[in-house]
Amino acid sequence: MPSQTTHSSAAPGSVSRRTSARFGLNLARPSRQHWLGYILLAPAVVMVALIIVYPLFVSLDLSFQKVGLARLDLPRKPFTTVNYERLFTSPEFWLACWVTFRLVFTVTVCCFVVGLGTALLVNQNFRGRKAARLLVALPWAIPEVIAVVIFAWIFDSTFGLMNWLFITIGLTDSMINWYSQPEPAFWMVAITMIWKGYPFVSIMTLAGLQSIPSDFYAAAKVDGANAWQRFRWITIPVLMPVLGVTMVLVMLWVFRDFSIIKVMTDGGPVGATTTLSIMTYEQAFGFFNMGYASAVGVITLVFCVVASALMIGRQTKSMY
Amino acid sequence: MYQTTPQKIRLYAGVAIVCAILVFPIYWLFVTALSTTAELKALPPSFWPEVAQWGTFAKVWGERPILHWLMNSTLAAAGSVTLSMIVSVLAGYSLSRFRVRGGNELGLFILTAKMLPATLLVIPLFSIFRNVGLIGSIWSLVIAHSTLIIPFTTWMLKGYFDTIPRELEQAAMVDGCSPMGAMVRVILPVATPGLAATALYAFVLSWADYAYARTFLINAQDNWTANLGITTMKGEYVTDWNEISAAAVFVAIPILLIYMFLERYLVGGLTAGAEK
Repeated sequence: MPSQTTHSSAAPGSVSRRTSARFGLNLARPSRQHWLGYILLAPAVVMVALIIVYPLFVSLDLSFQKVGLARLDLPRKPFTTVNYERLFTSPEFWLACWVTFRLVFTVTVCCFVVGLGTALLVNQNFRGRKAARLLVALPWAIPEVIAVVIFAWIFDSTFGLMNWLFITIGLTDSMINWYSQPEPAFWMVAITMIWKGYPFVSIMTLAGLQSIPSDFYAAAKVDGANAWQRFRWITIPVLMPVLGVTMVLVMLWVFRDFSIIKVMTDGGPVGATTTLSIMTYEQAFGFFNMGYASAVGVITLVFCVVASALMIGRQTKSMY
Repeated sequence: MYQTTPQKIRLYAGVAIVCAILVFPIYWLFVTALSTTAELKALPPSFWPEVAQWGTFAKVWGERPILHWLMNSTLAAAGSVTLSMIVSVLAGYSLSRFRVRGGNELGLFILTAKMLPATLLVIPLFSIFRNVGLIGSIWSLVIAHSTLIIPFTTWMLKGYFDTIPRELEQAAMVDGCSPMGAMVRVILPVATPGLAATALYAFVLSWADYAYARTFLINAQDNWTANLGITTMKGEYVTDWNEISAAAVFVAIPILLIYMFLERYLVGGLTAGAEK
């Protein structure tokens, strides 16, 4: 392959290249620049540009126009910041921010409690632990829409299991209407999301736990560490990086989630479950204020980018 | 590890209780589907149907185009997975093996694209698809789902290619393969399990979508996906919970089966890199 050898000689010099040149072979040193690398990457570049970058620019552009139903075949409307002005002065938006924050916080904390707990439980040594692991993470395999069907029925106001349970154990003496009262509606959505979200924490934690060599524990035991000390000084430090990434991923999932809330409560009652994602969608396809909706969307995007930047800064390797 | 009998019993009891609580909603879905309407309205609720009403499944299957919905979901998933896999196998391989100017930046960008909110992207995609007449067509989903899938698969595959020793290609090239030939004839066959796992994961991602289907296909009843179809059954007049549950079982089964039998691969994809 003489042509490649000449080509590679354009790359920054190294000893190994000289060796491969001596043999007249390109040994495909991975660090080498090569035309093939560019060609292989080209389809991805084109695709990403067409279906991700271009749409992103369109929405950024829309957010600076007063536009109802966005039409790309018409000339663009004049530049205006009216959408952002409206956004920051609207109580709706601040309520949505608060609901989003509260939901992200509640669901993430609960997902971690349940996920960590179950992971530590099924990481014990017992017969049938393979089956237990499969069961514990089972909700992960249920599509979100199906999870909503299940929980919408459990939280049904007249015949639902949850009301029966609450009355039986004496938490309330009358039926709670989960769909028409703000606080119950919020918790109904949160519980559904926790159930759908904890298996991810569980799976990630288990993977992390399995990467701890058992020698660590054996050595600590020889040194006289008790169960708590082994947990505190071996398990936690090793798990920390995994848990950090997992936490950001769970937070982003709740932050961006659409299907669960949309199908379950449609953002209601009186905005009690309207997160920024739901607000974006409602404005765009409910009221056809696509310019305004894009502005909300751009704000959510900024949150997401900040969160991912934090993550990339910490741990690029654990990201994918 | 040595355990005393009481410890063992406590452990088993704990595992059993936790599993029972967490899996109960899925159990309840099946019980609801198998109960009569009268049983569903009984208080206290019956946790086991008197006579399992398998007929509900047949009724729902006959009355609703569930098979058609499932086919549409499969079609959209197959299309977007194929498209994304072609693009990301090439890109993942390139990112793993070559130093390309701007490659790192592109990789990071693709990584960030995973964090994009669908509700933001859905607005411009809607305008674009309207402009080119794709609204109501399955192709709109194929493209929209690719925006979800490509960022995942590219990085999963890059991670997978990273684990394959470079000596393999080098050996192939010593034996006279071109770099392209080394990839196609040597690396891809070796990577088949990883490719399959990635494709499977992508399939599940596409199957789970609701936002895009609801936006692009809501007025094209023929092209409804399973998730979209199910939601249209909820609360038309009074929801028949046994029927919607039966339909939900049909929709949940494919992914549940994939999970039960191929859990190892799915979880492998999910946690790839997390252990490092």
